Amino acid sequence: MKCGFCGREIPDEIPENHESCGLCPGGCRKVHCPHCGYANPLVPRFLRRWAKKNDSKKED
Amino acid sequence: MSSVNDHPTGDPKIVLVGNPNVGKSVLFNALTGAYTTVSNYPGTSVEVSRGNCEIRGKRYQVLDTPGMYSLLPITEEERVAREILFTENAHAVIHVIDARNLERMLPMTLQLVEAGLPVILVVNIMDEAERIGMTIDCSLLQEKLGLPVIGAAMARKRGLKEIRDALADFDHRRRALFGYAVDLEQDILKVASTLHGTYPLDRRSLALLLLQKDEEVAEMVRQIEGERFAEVETAVKEVIFERRVDLHLRISLERKRVCKGLLDGVIAQLEGQGVPFSERLSAWTVNPWTGFPILLLVLYFGLYQFVGHFGAGTVVDLLEGKLFEKYLNPWAIALGQHYVPWVWLRELLVGEYGIFTLAVRYAVAIILPIVGTFFFAFSIIEDTGYFPRLAMLVDRIFKKIGLNGRAVIPMVLGFGCDTMATMVTRTLETVRERVIATILLALAIPCSAQLGVILALLSGVPGALAVWTVSLLVIFLIIGFLAARIVPGERPMFYMEIPPLRLPQARNVLVKTMTRMQWYFIEIIPLFILASVLLWAGKMTGAMQWLIGVLDPVMRAIGLPSRTAAVFVLGFFRRDFGAAGLYDMQAKGLLTPVQLTVAAVTLTLFVPCIAQFLMMKKERGWRVSLAIFVFVTALAFSTGWALDRFLLFSGMMS
Repeated sequence: MKCGFCGREIPDEIPENHESCGLCPGGCRKVHCPHCGYANPLVPRFLRRWAKKNDSKKED
Repeated sequence: MSSVNDHPTGDPKIVLVGNPNVGKSVLFNALTGAYTTVSNYPGTSVEVSRGNCEIRGKRYQVLDTPGMYSLLPITEEERVAREILFTENAHAVIHVIDARNLERMLPMTLQLVEAGLPVILVVNIMDEAERIGMTIDCSLLQEKLGLPVIGAAMARKRGLKEIRDALADFDHRRRALFGYAVDLEQDILKVASTLHGTYPLDRRSLALLLLQKDEEVAEMVRQIEGERFAEVETAVKEVIFERRVDLHLRISLERKRVCKGLLDGVIAQLEGQGVPFSERLSAWTVNPWTGFPILLLVLYFGLYQFVGHFGAGTVVDLLEGKLFEKYLNPWAIALGQHYVPWVWLRELLVGEYGIFTLAVRYAVAIILPIVGTFFFAFSIIEDTGYFPRLAMLVDRIFKKIGLNGRAVIPMVLGFGCDTMATMVTRTLETVRERVIATILLALAIPCSAQLGVILALLSGVPGALAVWTVSLLVIFLIIGFLAARIVPGERPMFYMEIPPLRLPQARNVLVKTMTRMQWYFIEIIPLFILASVLLWAGKMTGAMQWLIGVLDPVMRAIGLPSRTAAVFVLGFFRRDFGAAGLYDMQAKGLLTPVQLTVAAVTLTLFVPCIAQFLMMKKERGWRVSLAIFVFVTALAFSTGWALDRFLLFSGMMS
């Protein structure tokens, strides 16, 4: 997944010890870019396969 | 540091490195063919691919590393890629870069060369670069860099033969040295001269990483130097203390300067084709003369027209005015009256503050269409890559208010949700910046839902939106300007790599919009229901009337009807809930244009919602967050009072 702000790649695997603010009911649904700190929405499971189709077109 | 050794061979190694999505894996497959293995790097979940290739009868082992942006790692992937570079003793390191983004990617080539690694540079995706009219003089770049540079288009296997030849003939003893500014060179020398051990990378590169506070490298140096490490540590501390600047930024800017010189005469745009439109547009967005008109266009069409008129006007009218007011609410109230004999329960379900008649109606009919259209517009703007350009554009203004372009991230996120944005202020470099950004977020940045409802409310009253915008902008700048002078601390610089400007992709935009709407809906429904239960309890016990009575003199002082007090109470619970209450009052004709404008300005400036307050407390502590709370409340009502007087005496909106 690409960061919506700096455009850099965010690792697919979220570290197990990742910290969340705990204020959102039902758990955290955001991923902070490790490069710039921008909060990107974490794609829900039902949209993940659809979103992945975009990634498969990449060069690498 | 461990090493990839579950496939031990004595063959010389070729390591592929580069940013993600530059074609490393395509090159890896082209070099190695079908027989490759993929395994996790020891102790991590990061995958590393290995294979073999034969060039002029000699076998090589090829390693494809995870994407990395710099030798100074941030992610686990980058850490693994660096470890492979340091431990594998490569015959050649092929750095693959995207021809269209040479300037952005070349600084990493410099880092690899500085580290003393045997680098071959592959400028990939040349076909796409040529398609947009770029020509790249690889021979000139090779001459300047002092290492093999090969133009390639790996998807078409173009350049593969040249890469194989370069690998076979590679002699890495020749290497160029890139000089930085005199003071930086002195600092590098000061640290490098304290390093005496044997390292897998050059001392110059080690010194640069130590000056950038690379903890892993510091640990490696500690182990190798042993007792002499204290001398290294002292040298690093002295440089950091003497310079008092962000050395990471200073080094990045120096590398950028060197790369600019290296690329001088290397890249040309074909005659007749000119600079691509996307690049010209990109330049316009960061130039203040053209950037601010573009920003106004984005705000006008993206927020005012699309969110304010379409989302909050057309769609809300349809859902709230027609569906709920005409059909659903009367039906629910009739059902309640028919089947629920207890007044308290009827009130709780379908009364003035009922779960269905208030909470569900606000959430579904007022807030959802507004945040939905807002998130759609936001996702389009985000997907084009406009936000980093906005950061560069406002950097100069933000410096006047004690921040820099980096603060655009929490500010932009604040227009989505201020609570989350308050948490993101921790990414700012200094405590001073974090405090100023927290104050401004609490004061003058409305969240998406509140912004949408206020846009919808005010766009129907001539002049109201202009007064609201000017009031908030003036307060934002004055408070920021004063805070910059009162709050002590350092003033950091801002620098960021700007990604290419691109057309938004429909799939990306839809996924992001739906993801954000799902998150928002899950979050607001329970809170709206809880708020409506509390309001119902307040009404049944008389506490609500008492609170409204307490706030009544304040409301009168700023020229608002007593009932507006309930809106402010709702607003503290959730910002959008308060704005929706104001929307309701306006729909019932309870507010004059002056009252509406004053209420909208005061409510926007008024204390943040309870979630944001809790986040402020978590991030800044009780003392600072309570001080911000009191300050913001006092300023909101003072501004409301002053604005009310001004509008009444000037007769502007009468």
